Amino acid sequence: MATTNLFDFPPQPYTGEKARLTRAFDYLILVLALFLFIGAFHLHMALTVGDWDFWLDWKDRQWWPLVTPLMAITFPAAVQSVMWTHFRLPLGATLCVSCLLIGMWITRIFAYHYWNYFPINVVLPATLMPSALVLDMILMLSNSLTVTSILGGMSFALLFYPSNWPIFAMFHTSVEYGNAQLTIADVFGFQYIRTGMPEYLRLIERGTLRTYGQYATPLSAFCSALLCTLMYPLWWHLGKWFATIRYVKTI
Amino acid sequence: MFIHIKNYVANVFLALTCLLAAGPNNAYAHGEKALEPFIRMRTIQWYDVHLTQDKLKINEEVTITGKFHVAEDWPRSVPKPDMAYLNVAVPGPVFIRTERYLSGQPLMSSVALKLGGDYDFKIVLKARIPGRYHIHPFFNLHDAGAVMGPGQWVDVTGDPAAFTNSVKTISGETVDMESFGFANGVSWHVFWIVLGTAWLLWWVRRPLFIPRFKMLKSGHGDALITPLDKTIAKAILVAVPLFVFGAYAMTESQYPNAIPLQAALDQIEPLPPAVNAGKVNIKVIRTEYRVPVRAMNMVAQIHNYSDQPIRIGEFASANLRFINPSLGQSGKNEDDTLVAAKGLVIDDDSLIQPGETKTVSMAAADALWETEKLDGLFRDADSRMGGLLFLYDPSGRRYIASISTSVIPKFD
Repeated sequence: MATTNLFDFPPQPYTGEKARLTRAFDYLILVLALFLFIGAFHLHMALTVGDWDFWLDWKDRQWWPLVTPLMAITFPAAVQSVMWTHFRLPLGATLCVSCLLIGMWITRIFAYHYWNYFPINVVLPATLMPSALVLDMILMLSNSLTVTSILGGMSFALLFYPSNWPIFAMFHTSVEYGNAQLTIADVFGFQYIRTGMPEYLRLIERGTLRTYGQYATPLSAFCSALLCTLMYPLWWHLGKWFATIRYVKTI
Repeated sequence: MFIHIKNYVANVFLALTCLLAAGPNNAYAHGEKALEPFIRMRTIQWYDVHLTQDKLKINEEVTITGKFHVAEDWPRSVPKPDMAYLNVAVPGPVFIRTERYLSGQPLMSSVALKLGGDYDFKIVLKARIPGRYHIHPFFNLHDAGAVMGPGQWVDVTGDPAAFTNSVKTISGETVDMESFGFANGVSWHVFWIVLGTAWLLWWVRRPLFIPRFKMLKSGHGDALITPLDKTIAKAILVAVPLFVFGAYAMTESQYPNAIPLQAALDQIEPLPPAVNAGKVNIKVIRTEYRVPVRAMNMVAQIHNYSDQPIRIGEFASANLRFINPSLGQSGKNEDDTLVAAKGLVIDDDSLIQPGETKTVSMAAADALWETEKLDGLFRDADSRMGGLLFLYDPSGRRYIASISTSVIPKFD
């Protein structure tokens, strides 16, 4: 039966005390999931995307839009697999990315700013929320792993750079500094001393992924889109593999 | 018992709090002793490093100047310095680096160094956070590590809130580097987080796991997604990409001259030779390290090609300075614990005349070899040592030679 009011819920099998207990269980799982994903997804991103997300002067137009979505679609795919397959909850990607952002902002404020004295604008994180929302919508409306892998994976990657450009474009304003043309982001890297992170460690437009007619980002974004279509089903199946009561039975 | 446990927990918390409060303000070393001795002795050979002042207020500047020689006998196990970064060892951005020069030219990026090259450098730092800091110039060497130059303590006082740092863009706009882009970035994050949270709450407000799982397994999964859910999802699916690309287009028009990050390697030639400049030629014949007395004994053949008589004044290696006291050239700073003011003893300290070749025995002896963990040299895969030998003529003119030699340990 279709709901007609905004606050009408779909039918549910429980009422009374059973409903109250299952609701308590919901909150228990949600709180645990929140801490689990803040820790696990944030650690995963720190280890795989790392400096590309930490520093302004690492966010280039070639590797940053390639690496970030590719590594960030992993947890959303696995969590979507569990949430959608077993509960028909289309919020796996949004939940993961929300947790990631909470973790990122905590570290940027407390670890980078208060503990290590960096201005927060030097370590602004990127957002993946638009990508995550679209990924959840495509899964919900298609109810198909294949469609979500192809359309969702591609959208996740292709939306990343344009959704972050309004945040980071201003740091690409050019400055004449030390008889050279630099961006404001480069000047941050020069001025705010990082003893363990010399400039040459930055992977800025290095390697065989070249520009085409001086356009680099579209190539990287489409390359990332292609890879995300493969990464998504891989992690979907990883999520499916772990979502089992096999281990519980042996306890 | 319970009170004991409470006291114990309180003490642990107190200790942890003190540890965290001590934090980066009290970093007493930068791991410089951890690098293998042969890398510290035979890569970047620092000398004449000075700081203009050791007491600053917030916003005041200190300038570090100095020179270094890139050793000819570069260790085989260390990649050549095709990618190096002249850095400053401080606990994070307690200073900002406003200027940096190599051989008189601005150095904004990484640089390729030439073996045997002589360079001078200048780094200008502006005080940002109050505290007492030990500052070293150092080189990050690609795939090798950090080779530290001599360090010095600097005190910074004042109110950190008074710190200012502005930069002018090419279009003439002055930006405050401490806050530029912060409000804009936070606004966008808040906008997207609110939207994401709304979507999460839309689902979290209804019964979740057990009821939905049970309905799905009983074949009523379709009822879990309402038509209104689908309508909202379709709206988001259309609105979010439209909004993203709209905002992207607006940003593009707002910053039409945005440029990509700059990552060129700076190319700076060495200065005319200052070390091994041809006036003095030194060949080290044999070097022994006497472990019990912590002395590096060198036998060297010195040929004086200059037109003045010369004497040995100092041997320097890995920032240790061993001074020949009879020459009185130490320039020792009382705070500098790495100078052995009477550390260089020479068997025949007479002048080496122009054109003369003389064989001399030198002993660079001090406990510094051990305290600076350089005595482990002979336990490394590469047990050659290197350093700079400073010679002086009667007018005080200096001649510098970079030497390198195998070291034989003596345990007697």
